[in-house]
Amino acid sequence: MKRIIKFVVNGFEKEIAVEPWWSLAHVLREELDLTGTKVSCNEGDCGACTVLIDGKAVKSCIYPAIKAIGKNILTIEGLSSKNGELHKIQESFIENFAIQCGYCTPGMIMTTKALLEENPNPNEEEVREYLQGNLCRCTGYKKIVEAVLYSAKK
Amino acid sequence: MGKLSVVGKSVVRIDALEKATGVAQFTSDLKVPGMLHANVLRSPHPHAKIIDIDKSKAEQLPGVKCVVTGEDAPDKRAGSAVLDQQILAKDVVNAVGDPVAAVAADNIDIAEEALELINVKYEELPGVFDPEDAMSTSPSAVVHPDLFNYEKGPFGHRRFDFDKPNVMMHYSIRSGDIDEGFRDADLIMEDRFTTARVQHCTMEPNATIAIPEADGGMTVWVAKQLLHPTRTVIRNLFDLEPSKFRLKMKYLGGGFGRGAVFEEPIAILLAMKTKRPVKLLFTREEVFLRGGNRIPMIVDIKDGVKKDGSLVAREISAILPSGPSEAFTGLVTRNCAFGAVGTYRIPNLKWDSYGVYVNEPTTGGFRGLGSTQVEWAIESHMDMLAEKLNISPVEIRRKNFLHEGEPNVNGELTHSIGVEECLDKMERFIKPDEKPKSEGMWRRGKGITVSNKYTLAPSADMARVKIAEDGGIVVYHAGDEMGQGIDTVCAQIAAEVFHASIDKVSVNAVKDTLHVPYGMGSCSSRGTYHTGNAVRLACEDAKNSLFKRAQEKLGIAPDNLEIKDGVIYEKNNPDNNIKIPELFVGYTLGGYGTYTLDGEIIGNATFLQTNNPDNPENGQIDPERAAKGERLNASYAHSSKAVEVAVNIETGEVKVEKIGVANDMGQPINPKMCEQQAEGGIGMAIGAALIEDYRVENGIPLNSNFHDYRISSFGDMPYSKNIKEEIVTAFHKDGPFGAKGFSEGAMIGIDAAIANAIYNAIGVRIKDLPITPEKVLRALKEER
Repeated sequence: MKRIIKFVVNGFEKEIAVEPWWSLAHVLREELDLTGTKVSCNEGDCGACTVLIDGKAVKSCIYPAIKAIGKNILTIEGLSSKNGELHKIQESFIENFAIQCGYCTPGMIMTTKALLEENPNPNEEEVREYLQGNLCRCTGYKKIVEAVLYSAKK
Repeated sequence: MGKLSVVGKSVVRIDALEKATGVAQFTSDLKVPGMLHANVLRSPHPHAKIIDIDKSKAEQLPGVKCVVTGEDAPDKRAGSAVLDQQILAKDVVNAVGDPVAAVAADNIDIAEEALELINVKYEELPGVFDPEDAMSTSPSAVVHPDLFNYEKGPFGHRRFDFDKPNVMMHYSIRSGDIDEGFRDADLIMEDRFTTARVQHCTMEPNATIAIPEADGGMTVWVAKQLLHPTRTVIRNLFDLEPSKFRLKMKYLGGGFGRGAVFEEPIAILLAMKTKRPVKLLFTREEVFLRGGNRIPMIVDIKDGVKKDGSLVAREISAILPSGPSEAFTGLVTRNCAFGAVGTYRIPNLKWDSYGVYVNEPTTGGFRGLGSTQVEWAIESHMDMLAEKLNISPVEIRRKNFLHEGEPNVNGELTHSIGVEECLDKMERFIKPDEKPKSEGMWRRGKGITVSNKYTLAPSADMARVKIAEDGGIVVYHAGDEMGQGIDTVCAQIAAEVFHASIDKVSVNAVKDTLHVPYGMGSCSSRGTYHTGNAVRLACEDAKNSLFKRAQEKLGIAPDNLEIKDGVIYEKNNPDNNIKIPELFVGYTLGGYGTYTLDGEIIGNATFLQTNNPDNPENGQIDPERAAKGERLNASYAHSSKAVEVAVNIETGEVKVEKIGVANDMGQPINPKMCEQQAEGGIGMAIGAALIEDYRVENGIPLNSNFHDYRISSFGDMPYSKNIKEEIVTAFHKDGPFGAKGFSEGAMIGIDAAIANAIYNAIGVRIKDLPITPEKVLRALKEER
């Protein structure tokens, strides 16, 4: 049976009826039309669905929506500033050609955001380690690593 | 060639902003009012007869709008070269994953529940799984008993061997006299090389939204390469009126040759029955089962060489297991041969390749279209020959290169071959003669290869360019934007022709077959060459049209006009000029907006790359036409790859520590985007070489998910400073600004370079991909 839950998404309070088996990714995409969060494997293996919950990177496809009660969620749509200015990580991904098909990009950017909050000045080793759970089939990762390091310096 | 101002510059990708902010629309993201959700019941058996399907319980489940089975589907079959695919199985299933029934329901939860209520009774049949068994004259099972009566499809090639009931394509090349060649040889070596089934693993799963239109037409959003050709296949299936049936796509979340089988018709069938929009979104497991996989090829190679390393004879036989559907295997079976054609001078060649049906999940096109697997064998074998002859791997390759103007084994005169320069660059990068240091259990070695990838012909693209009232240039083309950057490439080409800045160009992001002119689409590394050429010509046409209109105002013939930054001017007197907006009439009574008296200012063009076709029995093209330079393929991109690996002799682990790639692509349109392709090729190739193996045992797939089937991740790549991409520019006379496509070739030859480096490190030769720790340890044990 559906339950009403409340949480904050990108600074806005949301009240929504969810089935107990729905994932947070499902609710974001299907109920809130926040399709910037991608679902690729739907099994927690690829990181495309990564969002921040209370500042921590979480794979939203295996995170039950009902667990999000009272939580503060940030998705790719909430990353730019209110006046539309890009976040430095987004700028860096664009300028460093770290984007190809773009389906892994929101997850990569959100994981990077969590990384830089924990470790504002990571080295390449630390970037590789932290982003290991985010898969990309297009880039071979080199330009993503470069974009992350570049945005840390920005 | 004149000085270029936009082409050749690394302008920022025009799709990057949308993709970085999450607003880029993929078909899998879309919703339509009133939309139903589909789910498909699939065969759990590799080969079985359907005895009975009971769907009554599913139909009674609240929220279920429609349940369809094979009985409801058209009798016609879909496919590429052979029309062998049923939308829903009618009486027999030929692989695990074959669609048997489909449901449309109010939401995905109900659709899923409904599947569990459908009862299918099967009678299991013996299957055929081993490719050699499948291609024999008396195989364990015949996958399509009625094969020889199937209709021919629109893509690719089929050629039956009527005594081999599972063979749907047999391609041959005969050049020179193979027996005489081997008699002349000082050394003959013969080996078998194999590869695993590899999944494309695009991050976006397959998705379709079929929307019935009020006029009886149908609009279908797809997530697939080749929009226009796909439309042709589906239209024929349902006898839809061509002008009322359209396919749409904005961005494709990765291509790599995916989408071999047609499941879009399932959504269309449900939409027709319910008269509601229907969305069908694949699970990751379905992508593995039905997305098409790289063909796990068996390549037998026999080479004859002289003492100095020159090749005198080469015999290759390749078997390509296709799964239950031909699904592009016909094309791959022929075109994989070009991997053996494009690089080396081979005085005597005998080539045979066979596409065969097996009762396993479908395979088909995959980045490289078979050249990758063939060149894996060739480039491993070149090293084995070199060692036996005691010459260097670089020398044996250099000795045998084709040169400009020289005929290859199809009889085509070589043009635009940058392989030697690629190899030189990689030799300097990897320094093959300096043995790297080994430490403890880690032994290091180096490997180097060369490779080629053709771009197909014949094929055509049209493009249209419209000049807007503010001087903006709007480009309509049919290249699928799947991450490779075709939209940006087309924008750069348009900006170059108009001497405009890139921000004056918009490329229609939604590809809609009703609005974008025909183009074959993105495949075969053809986008830059074919679509780019069509856009270039359409821009020239639009420029011409502009000049004709300006002629009246300036009193100067078009030949004496030029354009820059939206200003049309007299070449010898730039002060005599007119700006594009001045060609439009101003605001008029009756409404806002501007117009011209002669209709829209548009440019229109077709780029047709004809070819000199080959005889499928011997691969030979017409020699007279060949002498005039008429080619079999559009172009060949060339490359060299060099790696340094560390191999742990205790665990068998292999690490690629350093990699260099030199890719010959003629004129790079956007060098940074070319690096993207080069690096993406490296990532994918390391996965296919060391990790990826989609395992199927007796027809049962074992790892249809990202947990058990791992693709390369950050940690599998060398550190950034140890990855080197170089560009070689052997211009192509027919490419736009001298460009040719190379993106598939970006991954070719890396597998063999790794195997060669492993041999260099520990003295064992692995001939079966992927090179897992188990295989390395086993080989080391056998060596002892």
